[in-house]
Amino acid sequence: MSAATTVVIVPCSGIGKTYGTVSREAAYELVEELRPQDTRLVALARLVLGDAAALDEIASHPAITIDGCKLACATKMVGECGGQVAQSVDVLDAYRRHRSLKPQGIAVLNENGLALARTMAEELAVVVDAQNTASQQEVQHA
Amino acid sequence: MPDLPQRKVGIVACSGEELSEGTVSRLAALKVLEELRPADTVTICLPLFLAGGEGDRAFARFYPTITLDGCALRCAARGTEQYSGKPAVSLVVNELCAAAGLEQPAGRRQLDAAGQRAVDLTAERTVQAVDELLGKSWSRRSGEFLESLAADPGLPVLGDNPAASSAAAAQTAPAPVAEVATCACGSGIPVQTVEVAGEQVTLVALPLIFAQQYADGKRPQNLEPGALLELVRIYNPLPAEAEAAYRQSIAAAYAVYCASQEADG
Repeated sequence: MSAATTVVIVPCSGIGKTYGTVSREAAYELVEELRPQDTRLVALARLVLGDAAALDEIASHPAITIDGCKLACATKMVGECGGQVAQSVDVLDAYRRHRSLKPQGIAVLNENGLALARTMAEELAVVVDAQNTASQQEVQHA
Repeated sequence: MPDLPQRKVGIVACSGEELSEGTVSRLAALKVLEELRPADTVTICLPLFLAGGEGDRAFARFYPTITLDGCALRCAARGTEQYSGKPAVSLVVNELCAAAGLEQPAGRRQLDAAGQRAVDLTAERTVQAVDELLGKSWSRRSGEFLESLAADPGLPVLGDNPAASSAAAAQTAPAPVAEVATCACGSGIPVQTVEVAGEQVTLVALPLIFAQQYADGKRPQNLEPGALLELVRIYNPLPAEAEAAYRQSIAAAYAVYCASQEADG
């Protein structure tokens, strides 16, 4: 891996419940707003299909998975594809830690849902930074 | 009557988070599921074909399925066929837009106006397909359409076949474990784990079969031998050499089910 490590972000693909939407919103917030230079979104559907480019991205970069439920499809898929999961987070766990941010809505999240996603993204930005710091230290020691 | 999803159509969206067209596929699916045909459609998220269990992988055999893909990779259509069953209809958002002369959508997180039009168009085409599929007969044994229901006596019209069970076997049967695989898309076909010859075996749709049989007045003492097994076989591959053991375990589990229903009053 190079000094400027790209972290792959893999959210849940669930479409029928709020937590899936929060996971996706957190991923977009992280990739588009907070760490656009350091992260890249990979769609879970491409991993299901075994798309070569997606598998290569997973194999070449650490991944952060954001799951919408305990079935943990994103984390399982990255693992099965041979990827290294640097951090896996679950929306329900995040909600338990931030009880005031009860998410609602599926196609469109309520304000609390957006705030929960933003909070998760901020927490994950720290993980991305840590990955970069570790990578830079590896290069310096090499 | 149990809520057997015989007359429903499955929708599988690629939900591709990387592309605007993926967002269109997801929102179009939601529009059909929640607004346009809520009583006629169900969904599952694509990754569950791998990350889930047998109940999830049975999805496209259980329901004639429409896949909604954002792009030519057709992850939903190919993934569904590879892991579950061949989709009845495959729609691709960017192809629909091109054919209708619509601008390509933009804004994967927040769709632009063209994206909203693409959602409407994709949902409209999906509804057309749903309505067409509901008018056809579907075999869950083969995961294909039939020309007529009467042509296949093995159709999963649960309750048509009388079934047998062994009341004596019920006395030694372990309590069945009922499960429903669920995910963030809230779907999943009910499964139940039973013990067959000392092994724990998960059988797809067993709770539905039991509920339908019970609702039809079938009880362990008036079922014909082998019929429950035939219903179970529609949804589950059963090894020929273990048929007797399966027959006994399923009959025993059904006796336990009936007893629990009667106890519940």
